[in-house]
Amino acid sequence: MSSATATAPRRRRLTLSRRRQLAGAVFALPAIGLVLGFIVVPIGQAVYYSMTQWDGVSSTWIGPSTWNQALHNPTLWTALRNNALLLLSVPFALGLPLAIAVLLHQRVAGWRIFRSIYFLPTAISWVVLGLVAQRFFAYQGTLNSIIHFFGFSHTNTNMLGYESTALSALGITFIFTMVGTNTMLFLTGLATLDPSLEEAARIDGAGRWRIFRYITLPHLSRFIQLAFVMTVIALFSALFSLIFVMTGGGPGYATTTMEFLIYQTGFNQGDFGTAALYGLILFILTAIVGVVQLRLIGADE
Amino acid sequence: MAEITFDGVTKIFGDDVRAVDDLTLHVADGEFMVLVGPSGCGKTTALRMLAGLEEITSGTLSIGGTIVNDVLPKDRDVAMVFQNYALYPHMSVAQNMGFALKVRHESKDEIARKVGEAAAILRLTDYLDRRPKALSGGQRQRVAMGRAIVRSPQAFLMDEPLSNLDAQLRVEMRLEIARIQRLLGVATVYVTHDQIEAMTMGDRVAVMRGGQLQQVDTPQDLYDHPANEFVAGFMGSPPMNLLRGGLENGADGAVVVLGAQRLAVPPRYNASHDLGLGGAVVVGIRPEDVEVLSGAEVAGSITTRVERREALGAEILVHLSLLDAEGTSAFVVNDAGAVVTRPSTLVAKMGPRAEVRVGDTLRVRFNPERFHFFAADSGVSLRQA
Repeated sequence: MSSATATAPRRRRLTLSRRRQLAGAVFALPAIGLVLGFIVVPIGQAVYYSMTQWDGVSSTWIGPSTWNQALHNPTLWTALRNNALLLLSVPFALGLPLAIAVLLHQRVAGWRIFRSIYFLPTAISWVVLGLVAQRFFAYQGTLNSIIHFFGFSHTNTNMLGYESTALSALGITFIFTMVGTNTMLFLTGLATLDPSLEEAARIDGAGRWRIFRYITLPHLSRFIQLAFVMTVIALFSALFSLIFVMTGGGPGYATTTMEFLIYQTGFNQGDFGTAALYGLILFILTAIVGVVQLRLIGADE
Repeated sequence: MAEITFDGVTKIFGDDVRAVDDLTLHVADGEFMVLVGPSGCGKTTALRMLAGLEEITSGTLSIGGTIVNDVLPKDRDVAMVFQNYALYPHMSVAQNMGFALKVRHESKDEIARKVGEAAAILRLTDYLDRRPKALSGGQRQRVAMGRAIVRSPQAFLMDEPLSNLDAQLRVEMRLEIARIQRLLGVATVYVTHDQIEAMTMGDRVAVMRGGQLQQVDTPQDLYDHPANEFVAGFMGSPPMNLLRGGLENGADGAVVVLGAQRLAVPPRYNASHDLGLGGAVVVGIRPEDVEVLSGAEVAGSITTRVERREALGAEILVHLSLLDAEGTSAFVVNDAGAVVTRPSTLVAKMGPRAEVRVGDTLRVRFNPERFHFFAADSGVSLRQA
């Protein structure tokens, strides 16, 4: 009797919803473990190492004063400025693919071939693309050949050779590398557009521009937002191979971005502590872009 | 408002697919014309040519006396209701309805006034700020209608607008669309595969098949005097019974030989129909014109057996087979080369209280006023105009 009264309440305490909560927690454990192991712990380590003198083997604790020192390094500000300037290429990295996708979606003659051609760069390593771009912009490269072909035989460019133009050349190359992915993304978006919407708009009296403005563009807005995020993240975190192959960050620091600066600081100067600090700054910048973007998408819904 | 004329209009897709073949059809101003036929009969293609969404291969199409073959959709001044409604998903109901007016640079006040009027007619006033996805199927359908009527166009084009609605709503919207069309008096071309919609909504009905126009007439005339076997079998539910037999000269006039049984042809048809003795013929009789006889054998009756019985509540459909000489059942002749597939039994409509069981032998008579005769080879009605 006494044992029955003792066990009954205990059994009753494990209600179905309680058991579900427990099961939920158990199932979430592996994911929590992965997040902790691969995201939270490394970030914590980065914060720790950013306050040390670390050559990759042994570290000496210095404290938050490392931050003060690093933030006064003019190269950091040059790199940040370069990153900011490169953002100017984003509208082109979205607009050009959008125009191409809309044209291909009209089923212009040979659209299948064009689709393959535009997508091809996506399948090629950025190292190769960088090499090709370097040849293109070089003093004896393709760009000058084209200029000479059109009769300007005394005009010579060397965009990668000057501080004033190297970043532009890098930006143009970046736009080119993003065209394939973004075009595909927009084509996918257009494929999900109900063709009868366009027909309805045509009967309603809309011309090509209005159909694009009022039907196509609103439909594509989510795809454009996604392309925007992907492009900005690529710009901040995937430009390394292009820079390494095309300019090595130069001339001077003209094409050194945050990402490249991290590499140089860590591996060329052996200052992994400062590199970790720069890594944190880049992470925060990228996170800000992501959060702002999420807010925009959230506001839309 | 305007009349619409198809004159020998043909549409060929690719090299040899004739979707619409030499269509000649006139829709009067204010008329409700229904294009009906099975899928692939070219009715939707005809409508899309009228809208300007498909190019016309040959022939001329005119709206209000103007040939519009090469006129862009936006300049035709027609409004279309799509099967899936094609509402702009990111616009509110009011913006959807006002879009055509906005494109035409009408003032905001004017747009608001016209949208308000249309919304009142369609009982959408409370939903003007909603997005399409927050509406029910019937409401979306009404928004699609509203988008058409705010423009006061020369013609309404409707492409199976009720096919995405459930049965009850369809009946409701059928009446609603017909009411609005009468109210506005705008020429309307309405495409459907549903012969009930065709019968109930159209001032006139054009039946199409394989890209070709079969017959245009008022619903009742179409039902009473189908021009060929196809129209006879398509209009009406259940469809007309079509029995193939040999036409012979009997003692008391013409008879149709159906297997072992002989069906006397009432003399009145000799004058009105080009029967021609000695050949094969298809006799048509609607299920409601098959009368079940009780008691003594009556001249002109045939003997059948009940094969199936479908009680629909208000009536009973009995599927009958003809009995042959030995008294065993023989299904109605159903030849493979027929113009239309015919049911293998004779269907009769009976009252809901009729006492009839599967296996019963019934004597039936065809209403002598309601015989139809079609040529066995071409399926064309033998009735002389």
